[in-house]
Amino acid sequence: MEGLAIRASRPSIICSLPGVDVGSQRLPLSDGFLRLPTSSYAADKPKLVAKSASLHPISAVNVSAQASLTADFPALSETNVKEERINGDKNKPENIVWHESSICRCDRQQLLQQKGCVIWITGLSGSGKSTVACALSKALFERGKLTYTLDGDNVRHGLNRDLTFKAEDRTENIRRIGEVAKLFADVGVICIASLISPYRRDRDECRSLLPEGDFVEVFMDVPLSVCESRDPKGLYKLARAGKIKGFTGIDDPYEAPLNCEVVLKHTGDDDSCSPRQMAEHIISYLQNKGYLEG
Amino acid sequence: MSTNIFWQESPIGKTERQKLLNQKGCVVWITGLSGSGKSTLACSLSRELYTRGKLSYILDGDNLRHGLNKDLGFKAEDRVENIRRVGEVAKLFADAGLICIASLISPYRKDRDACREMMQGSSFIEVYMNMSLQLCEARDPKGLYKLARAGKIKGFTGIDDPYESPLNCEIELKEKEGECPSSVAMAEEVIAYLEAKGFLQNQ
Repeated sequence: MEGLAIRASRPSIICSLPGVDVGSQRLPLSDGFLRLPTSSYAADKPKLVAKSASLHPISAVNVSAQASLTADFPALSETNVKEERINGDKNKPENIVWHESSICRCDRQQLLQQKGCVIWITGLSGSGKSTVACALSKALFERGKLTYTLDGDNVRHGLNRDLTFKAEDRTENIRRIGEVAKLFADVGVICIASLISPYRRDRDECRSLLPEGDFVEVFMDVPLSVCESRDPKGLYKLARAGKIKGFTGIDDPYEAPLNCEVVLKHTGDDDSCSPRQMAEHIISYLQNKGYLEG
Repeated sequence: MSTNIFWQESPIGKTERQKLLNQKGCVVWITGLSGSGKSTLACSLSRELYTRGKLSYILDGDNLRHGLNKDLGFKAEDRVENIRRVGEVAKLFADAGLICIASLISPYRKDRDACREMMQGSSFIEVYMNMSLQLCEARDPKGLYKLARAGKIKGFTGIDDPYESPLNCEIELKEKEGECPSSVAMAEEVIAYLEAKGFLQNQ
């Protein structure tokens, strides 16, 4: 059935369309959808009147079928759909479907005044991933934005505590973090994932989980020699002494991104590129792409 | 000289996030038979919280099984792992300051108690949808009871697999004189609990 679905930004919106007896049967609407048949808004597009001046629809879409409504708005599930359809003339005004929907992503974005995404910071051990993640989280907080940082270390003690460092478990580690980051992005949180994540294929898999643009890959482009000279956790020393096997950069490869959104290149001049400055670089990217507004 | 500086920024933590959101993170764990109304309550609760300007998110067995838990089947150890992972994610969400609504049958007491253990004591709110099997089966919203009765699904909770009801849950919602309360009324009851415990106060 052709129709127009209107999503209210707040509950109790009242919409009326000239010639369609919607109001008296349906008042008040929940903050679900009001679906109106095509005939009510033919080519001449009669004006839709919202009776509550302070409330307004925040999205209106044409829907061509019930299935596409639920595909467009994954928050709707079959069990939440209440269909009231009268057999026969589908152009009758009673042929309206409305739903009790859960709160969707756009609602949360409005509440938070930001758009959820995943900032995936990748690079060698000691390249400064956690330092930049921390600075970024702080700088965004100062702008009133909600972030959450997932890093290899905190996740390995919780969700991923059943995983080892064998190749297949490393892949699974990244996969699970990608899936959790995706959930956070769906909440509307700016999720910062800070992990070596050395294999291009695994990072690209995570990218594919998210809608276009929501995966922001940040490459900490720092030479091995600089990382090793920092050696913040003493791991390079252990790896060089043969006490750790398969350590990225020493006896396991790091595959640099070929096409990432942000590259933070080590310039050798710490004055020109503090963690705060690197964070601001990422923030400019987010701002330009509209992630810092609802 | 400047190259010897080690920049140390104090990290943004749960307290700061809770201040930003004006709420305290927690996990509302809704358990009960298939068809007992868990998802309906979760939706209703999420909506009511939203109207109060509070941020919540629903984790349910179905959406997680297509993402994070897509590698898990329905054998016993996979079911345990399913619940464990949901618990761990819920814990992260609560740490982020969110009101995380987990809506899963989660039939075994041991698994739910393990999730409770993972959280800091007071942040795990177990809500038991105590609806009779008869009511749930009459609803049968996904047609699963019918399939289970026909023997097409094995090990279906309530039919040929047990549901172990909570012994000490924070909120129990049940039929009153054979009638199930409305989802808004049930959501209000959960909200009253959250309010009383300070989860919805300005931080």
